[in-house]
Amino acid sequence: MRRFEATQLVVKQVGNSPIVSNLGPTTDELWHSGHRDRNFYTYGSMGLCSSIALGMALSTSERVIALDGDGSLLMNLGSIATIGREQPKNLIVVVWDNEQWGQTGHQPSHTAMGTDLSQVAQSCSINHSMTVDNLEDLTSALTTAMTEDGPWFIVAKIEEAEYMPVAPIEPELTVYRMRESFSS
Amino acid sequence: MNWAETIVESLKKSNTSLIAYVPDISIDQVTSLIEADSYFHLVSASREEEAIGIAVGSYAVGRNSAVFMQSSGFGNSINAIASLCIPARVPIPIFINLRGGVGEFNIAQVAMGRTTRPILDLLGLVHFTLEDENRLDTLLDGALKLCHANRQPVAICLTQMLHGGKLA
Repeated sequence: MRRFEATQLVVKQVGNSPIVSNLGPTTDELWHSGHRDRNFYTYGSMGLCSSIALGMALSTSERVIALDGDGSLLMNLGSIATIGREQPKNLIVVVWDNEQWGQTGHQPSHTAMGTDLSQVAQSCSINHSMTVDNLEDLTSALTTAMTEDGPWFIVAKIEEAEYMPVAPIEPELTVYRMRESFSS
Repeated sequence: MNWAETIVESLKKSNTSLIAYVPDISIDQVTSLIEADSYFHLVSASREEEAIGIAVGSYAVGRNSAVFMQSSGFGNSINAIASLCIPARVPIPIFINLRGGVGEFNIAQVAMGRTTRPILDLLGLVHFTLEDENRLDTLLDGALKLCHANRQPVAICLTQMLHGGKLA
């Protein structure tokens, strides 16, 4: 499956829940799926997507979705252990796994060489851990994750496609809009 | 109130209730109070940059947050601060146990400890260093107020002179 169509599917399924997107194409494609004030776009701090989502999940009762990437998560594997330790019922981590560092020249990542991120999550006490490789299974996993207690860890195998235009992200506005949406 | 209790009160006065940290023997004097107080949610991170990310997420959904770490961990978290907190203007008080000062026993702690404040200066971040308990409540309340008014992190460096932390 392609990341953009999978991203559009996620946006459609999660209603007004906050979404945190990993830097680069994941953020671009979330923006191109239609801006929402509850999109937390990142364009730096590689590795922290799921950590930001964890901080949100611990501070709101709403469901929180992370759209992370295999390369980024490999930079901060400890975040999986912290999610396992905290057990936030309202956190859904989706990992777009293209088995490569796409933006730096398509070098194979560790997931192309045997690292299984859903097993890592399982080993960190995240019992709802799975890998999907098509839109139908992703839909099914998300539907369950949106109604049943987590934390959820969904590795979605994707094929790289041509990159979309860089999204016009303003980090200050991203945080401001998100916080404002929780102020009432 | 001693210095640790004063920090806890200051956090409460600024409605700061999510605390992310990486354990340290000296700041344990504060974080153990936080852990025992139901006002707070104390999150143990595996690495300091992760603590920064958790704190940013909490702030983004409306709950003020703070981070505790050692100066060596500040080294681990520089990019998280520089590429997330600063451009997104996230006001997180960062409490740093400053190693490498008087009484330091570990050569490995000296370089990072002594370059922590110059790096904060290069990043353009406001920082305060606590050496004693004199007017500590005024200083802490003011530092946290400034942090939120400026919507940037403020670093509060805790020294051995303040906490009498364990020396070898």
